[in-house]
Amino acid sequence: MRLLIVDDSNLIRTRIARVVESTGLEEIFIVGLARDGREALQIARETRPDVVTMDLTMPEMDGVATIRELMRMPHPPSILVVSALNDKSTAITALRLGARGFLNKPFTDDELGLALLDVCKPL
Amino acid sequence: MATLTEDDLQLFVDAVKHYLKATSKQEPEITSAFLGDSSVIAHEFNGIVSFMGGYSGQILVSMPEGMLRELLVLQHEHDLSETNLLDAVGEVANTLAGNARKVFGPDLEISVPTRLRGAQGITARVRPRPYVITFRWHRHPALVCVDLERR
Repeated sequence: MRLLIVDDSNLIRTRIARVVESTGLEEIFIVGLARDGREALQIARETRPDVVTMDLTMPEMDGVATIRELMRMPHPPSILVVSALNDKSTAITALRLGARGFLNKPFTDDELGLALLDVCKPL
Repeated sequence: MATLTEDDLQLFVDAVKHYLKATSKQEPEITSAFLGDSSVIAHEFNGIVSFMGGYSGQILVSMPEGMLRELLVLQHEHDLSETNLLDAVGEVANTLAGNARKVFGPDLEISVPTRLRGAQGITARVRPRPYVITFRWHRHPALVCVDLERR
């Protein structure tokens, strides 16, 4: 599984990467880190990730607009939204656009690991 | 514009507790909650998120360097540079503001966080009488200023 991590916080990007690399998620390897939606789309076109963790509140291009674009790709990735926006309508919007999971910030390493494994399962 | 209720403010108290519990397994001690004035003294690292839409205002999270360094170490982060400390305080502000949408709903639009180092001039960025929540975590004092009004 090829993973792209998208978040405007460097700390969150490196934390997700660390959890993936240190908690037995060996079948997942990281193909890119992006700090906003535009960078994410560029990396996604180059690396064709299977899975994307997606923040929603980002500069330049937000997560909702980015999910919409990713879902138009020939082989859209499985998307786990990782966001502090924890109201129901935000989650429903993301899921309607095609995201497969929603993880609220703040999260524990275990919660992230489980959520990632869940969105990596074949449909 | 309507001001916030006690329940609204409790949301931010709970959000601070939840954030620190989830990231460090230790809740902070809430030391006070009051209507502030220009004498509120901020700490060295500050994260500010603005609210728009059905609400206006901002939330300010102000933390000392030692607290942020401990928080990052507990999250196994080795890079304790100023950039990462500012990133951390911005992420706390972003998380508290985002969590507020559970109560205030999608009409509460939030900005990406602004991160500032230095206590000087910070209180001038919020209105004269913000709600202030002070807390202590691992001996470190910190505060959250909530300046939010319904339109």
